[in-house]
This record gives sequence, C-alpha cells and structure tokens, in this order.
Amino acid sequence: MLDVADLVTAYGKIEALKGVSLRVESGRITCLLGPNGAGKTTLMMTIAGILQPRRGTVRLDGQELTGLTPARIVAQGVALVPENRLVFPQMSVHENLLAGAYQRRGRGEIASDVERMYARFPRLQERRAQLAGTLSGGEQQMLAVARALMSRPRVLLMDEPSLGLAPLVVAEIFRIVGELNRDGTTIFLVEQNAHMALQVAHHFYLMEQGRVTFSGTPGELAEDEVVQRAYLGARRAAG
Amino acid sequence: MIDFLQNTIDGVMTGASYALLALGFTLIFGVMRRLNLSYGPSIMVGAYLGTLAHLHLAAGPLGVAAVTVAGAVLAGLYVERLCFAPMAAGAGIAAMVSSFAIWMQLEQAAILVLPRHTYPFPPLASATAWLGPFLLRLDQLIMLASALVLALGVQALLYGTRFGLALRAIIGNPTAAHLVGIDVRRATVLAFALASAVGGVAGFLVLASDAQVTPMFGMWATMKGLIAMMIGGLGSIPGALVGGLLLGVVEAQSQWYLGPQLRDLAAYVLLFACLVWRPGGLFGAAPVRDLARGRSL
Ligand SMILES: Nc1ncnc2c1ncn2[C@@H]1O[C@H](COP(=O)(O)OP(=O)(O)O)[C@@H](O)[C@H]1O
Ligand SMILES: [Mg+2]
Repeated sequence: MLDVADLVTAYGKIEALKGVSLRVESGRITCLLGPNGAGKTTLMMTIAGILQPRRGTVRLDGQELTGLTPARIVAQGVALVPENRLVFPQMSVHENLLAGAYQRRGRGEIASDVERMYARFPRLQERRAQLAGTLSGGEQQMLAVARALMSRPRVLLMDEPSLGLAPLVVAEIFRIVGELNRDGTTIFLVEQNAHMALQVAHHFYLMEQGRVTFSGTPGELAEDEVVQRAYLGARRAAG
Repeated sequence: MIDFLQNTIDGVMTGASYALLALGFTLIFGVMRRLNLSYGPSIMVGAYLGTLAHLHLAAGPLGVAAVTVAGAVLAGLYVERLCFAPMAAGAGIAAMVSSFAIWMQLEQAAILVLPRHTYPFPPLASATAWLGPFLLRLDQLIMLASALVLALGVQALLYGTRFGLALRAIIGNPTAAHLVGIDVRRATVLAFALASAVGGVAGFLVLASDAQVTPMFGMWATMKGLIAMMIGGLGSIPGALVGGLLLGVVEAQSQWYLGPQLRDLAAYVLLFACLVWRPGGLFGAAPVRDLARGRSL
C-alpha cells in the first residue's frame, strides 16, 4: 500500500536517510524499530511531506506522494501522529479534534466522528472542554491519535507513541493500536519498545544509521541474533 | 481632576490608534513568531498612495481610506514575500534584519515619489463636542470605535471560523498544523494581508486626524505598535487593545504633568516596568512556555 523507495533525506550536508526502501502492507501493522538517531522520525516526516527528500519516492497505492505539500498528503489519506504528540496546547480537546478534520466538509459527519472518538477514548470525552496543554502525557497521546484519525486516513503513521509514558499507559496505547487495526486501519508504527511491538505488529523493519538493516516477521525478528542482543535482551536486562 | 480625566480621555483616543497598530503587529507575530519591523513603513506606503490619490485624483476621505488600506496590504504582501516567505524555520533573526532593510527601501521609495517633508492628508471629521467639561473630537471617537470593532472582529474570526481555527493551530504548533492538513503558507499570507489591512485602517485614521503625512510615519507606527504589543503581550489580541490604550493614557498624562520631553521616556518606563513585572506582557504567556511547545521544526 505505502511504498518507500531509495529515500534520501538530509539536514544540510548530513544524510539522515541514506537510501531507505520499505513497504507497508494494507490492513496490517508494520513496525519500524531502531535506536535513537537512526532516522525514524526523519522518515516519518519525509513521508508526511514536512521534510523534502533529496532522492527517492514515496507512493501510496502507486500514486506518487513525493513533492506534495503536507496538506495534499493528508488529503491523499496519510496521517501522522508525530513524535512528542504536538497537540495544540491552547485549544480545547474538542477543537483539537475539529482541527484534525480540517480538510473535511460536512459538519454532520465530522460531529459523528468526534462522538466516535469520544466513545473510543472516554478520557477525552471527560476532558473535551479542557485545554490540550493541560492534559497528562498519556491523554495527549490519545488526543494526538484521535486527531489524526479525524482525517479518516487510509494509513496511520505513529512515531513512538509510547515515548515517555508509564507502562500501564503504554499497554493502553498498544491495545488501541491493535483495536484500530482490527477495525481496518493500516498502521505504520515507529517504536523502541520491541517487546510491546512484538505483541501487535505483523511485519518488522529495523533501521540503523539511516539504513534498513532487517526486514522480517515477528518470528524472524525474535530469532535474529543481532536484534535479540540489541533490543530484546537489552530491554529484558533493563526492565 | 478635570485635567486628569481630560488627559485620560485624550489618552484613550490616541491609545486606540496604538491598539490598532498593535493588533496588526500581534497577528503577524502570533502566526509567524517573527517581528516585522517593516510593518509601519508598509502602512506608510499605503498612506502615501492615499495622499497621491488625494492630490492628483481629488479623492475624498473614503476613497483615500480605501487606497491607503489596499496600498498597505500590497506593501505588506511585498514585505512578506521578500522577508518572511524565503526564510527557513528558525531563521527569525534573519527575517527581522531583512525586514529592517526593506523598511529603509520603502522609506526611500516614498521620498523619491513625494520628496517634500509633509503632504496634506484629507481629514475625516473635524467636529468637536463638549460632554460636560470634557472636549471630545469626532474623528477620535471614530478611531476608538474602529479599534474596538476591529479587535472584536479579529477575535471573532479567530474563535468562530475555520480560517481562525487554522490560524490558532499555526500559532499553537506549525508542524502539527501542517500535519492536520492546513495549508500553512496560504493561511500565513492571508493573516499577513489581514494584519496589513488593520494597520492600513490605523494609519488612515491617525493621519486623517493629523491632516498630514511625513516619511517618519513608518517609524512612528512601528515603534508605537511594537511598544503597545509588548506591553499587552506578544500575540495577544486583548493585550494589543489594553496595551495600546494604556500606552496612550500614560503618554497623555506624562505630557501634561511632566512635559513633552518626558513623554516618550514615560512610555519606555512603562514598557520596562511591564516587562520586569510580567516578562510575557500583561496578557502574554511567559516566554518559557513556547520553548516547551516543540517548535524546532
Ligand atoms: N532538525 C535537525 N537538524 C539536524 N539534524 C537533525 C535534525 N533532526 C534530526 N537530525 C539528525 O538526523 C539523525 C536522525 O534523527 P531522527 O530522525 O530524529 O532519529 P530517530 O527518530 O530514529 O531517533 C540524527 O543523527 C539526528 O541528530
Ligand atoms: Mg524519533
């Protein structure tokens, strides 16, 4: 569904992506693992059109996204839940959701989608009038997810949704990721928490220093010695 | 006591023009997080075009008002195109410096076209009225009403329309605004045009009440708008209104009691006191909050 081919993105002279190719299959959860500084966020921002690649292409169902503005990419059906959530802090929860539907017309449908979000995220309903900047980290993450869903994306990109959250909240986020996927949303997830990701994702990529260094199923990932030592082992030792 | 109240009335009236200038300034700053030093000079360009229409086409006050506002918008868009559109995110200082360069350019251009120091500007309404012991000027009442109506209008636009939602999203987090599908570039240009139009209205009303225009008007407008905005709080609309009125009253009182030489000094003392007491301005968020918003992209 989403095809990334030979993508190179640079900050000045430094190439953060050095020719990345990967594929996100329709209806699945694809997970991108990798250490800090590997280029995961750069990849997400390039797909979303915030960063312009030097080379390479991003295609959605064969249609070229490269070179489109972020707004056009949203219109094509790609929504990104950015790293650090980036909710609109001075807007209410409700307004954040409306902003998520910015490109859509039809107040009735938008209103019923907002209600659907409140049903899925009851915490947001309780806090609908509260300023988003005053929410807890976990609530802001849910708001960021709900806001992205308000554009009715065909692919949902999520950049480290568990970053900085307590274990119980992380489990809740992953439960929602699984649920969204079962309801038909294609998801491309960036994570450092390999253990949690193993429970939900169908396919894994590993990225290191701007390159994809592994691609495989959860089973293959769990068996890969390098991955095990770097991610699963280290996590187990640490936690 | 009568003097004090009359000064206060005069100050509120003058302050209304500062409030209008600050309103446009604060819109640009809120949306872009950048200072546009050419804000006043682009209003001056509009005013000079208005004067030209007055001199050569015998345009009346309304015609001159329309030309002034349209000219300010065009000059504002020119400044945006040259100083703000090409600058990368994070290049706020470069944008500000280049807006200073364009200031000089606009001023010189105005002097080339109309080389005398002063030109007549058509007065709007010179009627005065006594309200008990107080003297009121009709054109200044119009200025005050315009400031209130435009501030309310901008507030309603920001909080009641889809365009306003887009602007507030950009103010909150530009990257996230892109990500929800807002055409940030287009919304920014429109905000710039709107701010310039508000500035054009301010410029017309001030100059109509002075009945003349000089090339110094650009600097005057930038200074007054900037100080009023900083007192009220960068990016705040109620702040622009209150900051402008407060600045006007303090100037009027100090002119009366301390003399004209100390008037500008009093304005700077007011600004300084406000910034020490509340670094973000009266209605502004403390500046540190912006750092926590993740504006790096
Ligand atoms: N705005 C930026 N300017 C310059 N270099 C950057 C910027 N953002 C990220 N980088 C660099 O690009 C590389 C990849 O960063 P990033 O995509 O954020 O990695 P990840 O999300 O995997 O932690 C890192 O070396 C980082 O230092
Ligand atoms: Mg990252």
